[in-house]
Amino acid sequence: MSFYSGFFYILAIVTGIATFMAITRRQALHAIVYLIISFFGTALLFYLLGAPFLALLEVIIYAGAIMVLFLFIIMMIQIRPSSQSRGAALKQWLPAIVLCGIAFSLAAAMVFADPATPVPLTPATAGPGELGRFLFQQYWFPVEMASFLLLIALVGALYLGRGEEKSPVQQREKAP
Amino acid sequence: MIVPFSHVLLLAVILFGLGAACAVTRRNLIMILIGVEIMLNAAGLVFVGASLKWQHLDGQAFVIFIFTVAAAEVAVGLALIVFLQRRTGSVNANRYNLLKG
Amino acid sequence: MRTTLFLLIFLPFLSALLLAVIGRRLPRRMVETIACLAVLGSLAMAIIAFASSGQKGQVVTLLPWFAVGDFSAEMSVYLDPLAAVMALMVTLVSSLIHIYSVGFMREDEDYVRFFCYMNLFVFAMLVVTLSDNLLFLYLGWEGVGFCSYALIGFWHSDEVKAAAGRKAFVLTRIGDVAFGIAIAFFFIITNTLSLSSINGQAASLSAGMATALGILLLFAAAGKSAQLPLAVWLPDAMAGPTPVSALIHAATMVTAGVYLLIRFFPVVSLSPAALLTIAIVGTGTAFFAACAALAQKDIKRILAYSTISQVSYMFLGVGAGDITGGMFHLLAHAFFKALLFLAAGCVIHVLNEEHDIFRMGGLRSRLPVVFWLFLAGSLALGAIPPFGGFFSKDYILLATFIHPEPAYKILWVVAAVTALLTPLYTFRLFFMVFLERPAAAKESPRNEQAVRPLPRLMVWTLWPLAIFSLIAGLLNLPSMWSGNEWLARYLSAVPGGVPSLTALPDIEGSMEMGTGLLSIIVLGLSYYLYRPQKFRATPTPGALPQTLEQLFFYGFYLDRLYQVAIVSPYQRISRFLWERIDEGGLDRGFDSAGKLLPIFSIGLQSWTTGRLSTYLKMLLLGFTVILCALALGWYPW
Repeated sequence: MSFYSGFFYILAIVTGIATFMAITRRQALHAIVYLIISFFGTALLFYLLGAPFLALLEVIIYAGAIMVLFLFIIMMIQIRPSSQSRGAALKQWLPAIVLCGIAFSLAAAMVFADPATPVPLTPATAGPGELGRFLFQQYWFPVEMASFLLLIALVGALYLGRGEEKSPVQQREKAP
Repeated sequence: MIVPFSHVLLLAVILFGLGAACAVTRRNLIMILIGVEIMLNAAGLVFVGASLKWQHLDGQAFVIFIFTVAAAEVAVGLALIVFLQRRTGSVNANRYNLLKG
Repeated sequence: MRTTLFLLIFLPFLSALLLAVIGRRLPRRMVETIACLAVLGSLAMAIIAFASSGQKGQVVTLLPWFAVGDFSAEMSVYLDPLAAVMALMVTLVSSLIHIYSVGFMREDEDYVRFFCYMNLFVFAMLVVTLSDNLLFLYLGWEGVGFCSYALIGFWHSDEVKAAAGRKAFVLTRIGDVAFGIAIAFFFIITNTLSLSSINGQAASLSAGMATALGILLLFAAAGKSAQLPLAVWLPDAMAGPTPVSALIHAATMVTAGVYLLIRFFPVVSLSPAALLTIAIVGTGTAFFAACAALAQKDIKRILAYSTISQVSYMFLGVGAGDITGGMFHLLAHAFFKALLFLAAGCVIHVLNEEHDIFRMGGLRSRLPVVFWLFLAGSLALGAIPPFGGFFSKDYILLATFIHPEPAYKILWVVAAVTALLTPLYTFRLFFMVFLERPAAAKESPRNEQAVRPLPRLMVWTLWPLAIFSLIAGLLNLPSMWSGNEWLARYLSAVPGGVPSLTALPDIEGSMEMGTGLLSIIVLGLSYYLYRPQKFRATPTPGALPQTLEQLFFYGFYLDRLYQVAIVSPYQRISRFLWERIDEGGLDRGFDSAGKLLPIFSIGLQSWTTGRLSTYLKMLLLGFTVILCALALGWYPW
């Protein structure tokens, strides 16, 4: 479908540009905002590729919860923007550019060497109910494990963020 | 007809590369975490595309788990960053080099 | 017979081994007893072997040694009359010298090492004497060289003595190279390493080959026996303890060279050129050494040069084609030279390590016993009739004189002159040491009270030697004097031994009369030249003009010649190679190559910054590498 493919490419471009802007901002806050745009683009891509529930989850969890958490933390710890000269920035970015360039060209070469490349995908959609049924029937154990993992993360985050404890002597002194 | 799977793959590779560049290059711990998030997102994109290519729902199920792990990891990572900021007053990755030598 | 021969050879070896391992923990008496008993045991075995061996030689294999592929070498022994009589002499003299050493080493703390090496030496010498297998013989040959080195440099903390040991070893080693080449030749030609078989096949050698082998063996013998051109080590070897000088450098090792030539006589005698060369070497060295002995001041050096001279006589005997004369003189010389050395050891000990004969004197009254013993040895050495050396030397002169080749007449003249020089220097030594000095000349710094007591053992062991040296003539008394020429007949079965020299009786008689008379005249001349009254005139009375005296004293400057021509360039080359090439080039090259390694590691250190960004970069790098590997390996390009 030309509309679908055109939409896909537009979304791809938007997502790519947004991500690029996100990683090159000096202020972390700006980076977060651009990243939220990128995630919106990804969500729409999910919807296009037949996973509306996942698109929903992407917006809610990723863009909604995780990015907001980032925002809270950034504002809480008040980081200052990095002050670096332009020259140092290039030297800093050079290894990443080189290596990612190599990786991308290799990936492109691998992809285009595949004889089954030009075959387009057949569109299909999986509704939430369908996905849910599938998930809880085939993958119920990983679901339970995932919830356990979230519990552990919760406990860990609580412990790490609890603040400094006073020593028992001081505590006893304070209490009459 | 939507795009061929290889185009989806290429987009995901581009996004993954951008995320990797961000994680490798930036000094700020928070920016490193953001790079990790971008990478995870790109991986999810691959899974959804593959699920459409093979007409299976396994890919989509796996994306749910990716979300879960990303969330857990962000929570703990940010808690660590807060802790580090309280202990040493800096979130610059270069400041932590006790493993030097 | 096998047990006897095994014990004969290996008793000293086992004793040396025992002393080497646990000798330091044993009490002193036990060490000495073990060492002496081992050699006495060998003596007993030698007597048994001598008594029970017949005229024919027999080969006995003692131990298997090694086998590689289809080549094998055994420790085998060839017992013929020659070997039997030589083994008897070696063990007898060794036993007496071991007992003497017990007294000699009384004040030395290092006696374990000494006795260990002495026993090892006896073992090696017996191997040389008896061995049939050429490799076994070479083992013993090298063994005597090594023990000689170890014993000469016994007091190795003194650099001069250690250098003397090294000099001896290097020079004998040069001869050993020739011996090794000869063994290789023997093996290639005859495909066997057995002495008896080689001697049996001797007739199959071509004349040129026989000459070459003869010269090689002569060179090897010249090394061990200190003949020209390898003679310079023996005077310096006197740095060792006196029993060592007596055993190794008088009776046994220096005669090993002659013995080797006699053992290989079937091969050597095939070539008249080789025999002539042997005779020339012998005569030349005899004259050279006798002249040098005439000007020496150190008592042991005089005896050393005398040894060189007497061994040369044995070479002359072999070169004249007669082994009986050589063996006769070998046996007689062993007795009287050992006696002289040991008696000199007594003198040196008593005078507190004084070696210069011009500082001695008047010992007749102080050591009367040693005086008579030394006199016995001197009479034998000087070939004064009717004592031991007279008959043996005369036998050799006779054999030289009657040789058909005309060149031998010239050699006879030189040898006869040397034979007259011998009593001259011998009695020069004797009179200097023992006769009373006139009171005016006694300004020597020697303190009259600082003389040491003499251990009795050192004197008692000299008596048997003295008796033997006086009566050694009985070994081979010519029939003219109603003797039975026992040695000649005993050795007649050995190749080269002739039952009696085919000489006309009147030649024999006149020669003996002539040399005997002349020897006595020279004795008188020596007394006239070196009598104590001469001390009034000069502190060191010499009978020669000054230039000759210097020439003789420095051994015709042979030592200096070697030093300049060979040793100095060699040292310079080796210093160059050591400092420039080995240390400068190789060592520095390795050091620089080794310094490359830190460069690598410093380069690697940049990876361990401890910073997060570095590690993340490394992760990305690894990911890219894996991607490359996948791309290259997986896809069908």
